[in-house]
Amino acid sequence: MGTDIINILFSGIFHASTLFLVAAGLQVVFGVQRIFNMACGSFYALGAYVGVFFVKTAHAAGLPPALSLIPLIAAGFFLFFIGPIIERGLLRFVYDRDETFQLLLTFAVVLMLEDVIKFIWGTSPQSTSELYLVYGQITWFGAVLPVYNLIVIASSLFIAVLIGYMLARTRFGKIIRATVDNREASEALGINMKVVYAKVFTLGTVLGTMGGALVIPSTAAMTEMGVELIVMAFAVVVIGGLGSMKGAFFGAMVVGILRSIAIATYPEVELLVIYLIVIGVLVFRPEGLFGGSRA
Amino acid sequence: MKKTRREFVKMLGGTAVATSAMLATHGEAKAQATKTAKGVPSEPVKIGLLPVLTGVAGVPGLAGQRAAEIWLEQANATGGILGRKVEFYQEEETSPKDTVEKFRKLTLQNKVDVISGGISTAVGLALGPVAEELGQLWLSWDATTQKGVEETMPQTKYSFRSVDNEMEAVGGGIMTAKHFPNIKTVAGINNDYSYGRDCWDTYKAVLTHFKPNVKFVLDLWPKLGETEFSSHIASIKKANPDLLFSSFWSGDTTIFFKQAAGVNLFQKMKACFCTGGGVHDTLKKDFTPPGMILGYNSFYFKWTDSWPLMKWFVNKYYTKYKEYPSYEADHAYYTLQAYKAAVEKCYAISGAWPTKEQVAAALTGIQVPSVSGYRGYTEDNRMECLFFQGITTHKNPYNFVTIDPVEIMPASQIMKPAGTKLYDWIKSWKS
Amino acid sequence: MAYVHMKNPKLWVFLAVTLFLLIMPRLGSQYLSYLLLTFLGYAVALLGVNLLFGIAGLLSFGHALFFALGAYMVAFLTTKFGVLHMEAILLIAIVAGVLLGAAIGAVCVRYIKIYFGLLTLAFGMLFYSFLLKFYYFTGGDEGMRVLRPYLLGMDLSAVPKMQFLLGKYYYYALAALAVASFAMWRIVSSPFGLCLMAIRDNPEKANYLGIDVRRYRWYAFIISGGYTAAGGVLLAPVLGQVDPTLTYWTHSGTLVFMILLGGFNTFFGPMLGAFLYIFLQDTVMSLIPYWRFVFGAMLAFIVIVAPGGVAGVIGSLWKKEAARDSARNNADPGSERSA
Repeated sequence: MGTDIINILFSGIFHASTLFLVAAGLQVVFGVQRIFNMACGSFYALGAYVGVFFVKTAHAAGLPPALSLIPLIAAGFFLFFIGPIIERGLLRFVYDRDETFQLLLTFAVVLMLEDVIKFIWGTSPQSTSELYLVYGQITWFGAVLPVYNLIVIASSLFIAVLIGYMLARTRFGKIIRATVDNREASEALGINMKVVYAKVFTLGTVLGTMGGALVIPSTAAMTEMGVELIVMAFAVVVIGGLGSMKGAFFGAMVVGILRSIAIATYPEVELLVIYLIVIGVLVFRPEGLFGGSRA
Repeated sequence: MKKTRREFVKMLGGTAVATSAMLATHGEAKAQATKTAKGVPSEPVKIGLLPVLTGVAGVPGLAGQRAAEIWLEQANATGGILGRKVEFYQEEETSPKDTVEKFRKLTLQNKVDVISGGISTAVGLALGPVAEELGQLWLSWDATTQKGVEETMPQTKYSFRSVDNEMEAVGGGIMTAKHFPNIKTVAGINNDYSYGRDCWDTYKAVLTHFKPNVKFVLDLWPKLGETEFSSHIASIKKANPDLLFSSFWSGDTTIFFKQAAGVNLFQKMKACFCTGGGVHDTLKKDFTPPGMILGYNSFYFKWTDSWPLMKWFVNKYYTKYKEYPSYEADHAYYTLQAYKAAVEKCYAISGAWPTKEQVAAALTGIQVPSVSGYRGYTEDNRMECLFFQGITTHKNPYNFVTIDPVEIMPASQIMKPAGTKLYDWIKSWKS
Repeated sequence: MAYVHMKNPKLWVFLAVTLFLLIMPRLGSQYLSYLLLTFLGYAVALLGVNLLFGIAGLLSFGHALFFALGAYMVAFLTTKFGVLHMEAILLIAIVAGVLLGAAIGAVCVRYIKIYFGLLTLAFGMLFYSFLLKFYYFTGGDEGMRVLRPYLLGMDLSAVPKMQFLLGKYYYYALAALAVASFAMWRIVSSPFGLCLMAIRDNPEKANYLGIDVRRYRWYAFIISGGYTAAGGVLLAPVLGQVDPTLTYWTHSGTLVFMILLGGFNTFFGPMLGAFLYIFLQDTVMSLIPYWRFVFGAMLAFIVIVAPGGVAGVIGSLWKKEAARDSARNNADPGSERSA
């Protein structure tokens, strides 16, 4: 019994970790730039595909599997250049436009990235092998837990703490919080919005790509995964509260654990439950758990 | 038993006709490598191709498309069809609505002679009536299940359907009863859509027929394209069945095994993955257990060394793509080969290029050599072929699992005969 | 002079288009006429979606829900309830769209902009899960069949399908589009329509002027629900089979894309967008497999450079022409040209 509970909770937390990484990128961009970046799922997908590529190349070059985390993290960071390309190349033209146009522009990016992925990697699923299990397992009260899953959970936590620290202690973090609270005042105080926006969007991009790269050893990169992920990420940020990092964290936990419990007890309602909660939250407490007040 | 004998005789007869037709036309084709046969138009033959290339179904879809291209190369190198060069017009299969539009486009605008393709069930159900209404020959690769088809395509003239997709579940049930006779509890994890549901229901019916005391303790329904099964695996562990059944057929199979290996799910548990062979060369040894039932649908890439067409095809496919072909490759290749054979059969009788109706008539009951062996269409225009399932083993020179022993189950054994209902047929089995 | 000069081109264009629509099935290729038929369904639906987007200023990312609702209604009514009269089907579907629009709209119109978009997206996907899950009822991923309805009481089931579709059904749908357009024109030009535009441009001011902002938005949502459902009804017999992908969120995105492409600022813009999208997609798809990239780039271009869409571009070109004309006229009053 205890073993089962551990398994259910652990799997829920693992799923929550993957969701958090996608959602975090979304939140930081929305919080500062008020843009709901539909392409966050696509960034995640890109991270996954490039992660596989980096790992395969590293293995072929002789890197021992135990060190495979290195090419994965490298993949996540490597893709940072996508951020400025999209932000400077497309998004900045619509900052003064209606929010809905910004949303539509990110939708255009989703479409384009879908085909970019298809162009580069084709349509077969890409996955790593000999990596997921290389770190072994641990047994805890009878429950068998793959160490790699623990690594992913630990990484998510680490990233969450890192972001929290950045927001609270660094100058950049303070600028972000100031902008979230009051954009005009921040500008009036002489903060260069252009630079902030570029940096924030890049941060959001890397969070997404990192997430994809880190998770990929346990699954596989498949076409249309970006389009599917967006729906889950969206559920997480709505529940947690748009624009809030804490919201991303707790929203992910809610979705991950609830889903796990649903699967273990009443599997039929798995997906429906998530949407109903989303609608419920949007109706009764649109700010989500941690969002500020807005209409 | 009577059925199999009749089937066998028909197969012999079909073989004879096919062989003689092939020998005859082969000779003719050789003599006229660049010239078309007499009485035949000289413009190229247009074949419409409808593979799925995105999403989960893109995995078999791509295999089918590759096989089609290999067939095209080979066909054109040996004189085409009756000397006419063959050209492909390709459109992607996507949603039913869009695929119907493309089907119409291929028919009305490109004016193709035949359309080969169609994998997803929903698309198949939509295309059937359109094919009949437009009078367009359609050779499906993989799309249908028993339920919807009875309503929309009771008696088709131009649509040639795939095998009943529950065949692999029937095979899986038989295999389970034979190889794992002592199991008491079974859990199922299937994709939440018609194919998954039909397979699970069929498997339960078959297994219950042989082992009435088996209990089904859990069924899980992840959506098609799910990539994260840790919660499902936790739930399976909680239910602790003796055997896990699944009809997964695409990338999710690989992911599931990976994540299951991470928690030692199959340490004691047995498994029956009746269609998992569709991604067989991604099922690496380091996470796929030996000793479980794995089904390869109509194509197992090394069931014999004495079928030259298969050897040639597997070599060619692997050389080009560094992957081994799966069943969809066989389905695609077969439909094209069947079309060619039907046209040649008609020509041998009439001496002129046949109409679509004539080809349709010739396709019914035809038998042709495909890369998996001999296969054909039944009297009611469904595919029939051999199904391959077996017990996984690590004893092979590859880094993925293979099966040994291999059980070959012909359609006559595991596909319901024309006009019967599936569950009535299962109940009527004597043994 | 300039005034009369301007009116004629628009009228001529309108007449030319109408003529084109009327004779295309007779003269054009079967396949292109078939595409035109799908255009008719989308055109009616877009009238509804643009009432919400262009006129009322609310972007819905879930309106494919109503489109699918209309289509499924046809499937249900013809196969399960034996209702075959197209008029009855249209009526029932529109009522269903209105009722569902009222329910969902009541929730959604409390929010604007992003939240409105996200909420509608959630509802659209909820409907998608519903259609998939309750497969005994809805056929699940396989969808449901659509039987041929009676047009104006005529049982045309003996007619071969293509002839039916490109003959009587085409003109029926065209007539439906004409009626729907006329009705929408009246709605948009009415005080209600003007109120919506006022709300779109400046909600606080409209509120100050005494307009019940939320209620009017709700009305717009309801009407758009009915219209979009009607569009789905018109498309269903053409498809022959309806399935849940009709309500997936990317299909909602397509609806918005069409409006943006044509131009959300003019009455006929959305229709133009539907027409362009359908034929462009067909052309691009047969040229390269990476059509999504091309369309994504197109969308980005429109959003950044030409948010008024094609109609917007044409409109501004016309204005330039008119300005040049009047400048010419004013500069040289002696040589007045006849209009």
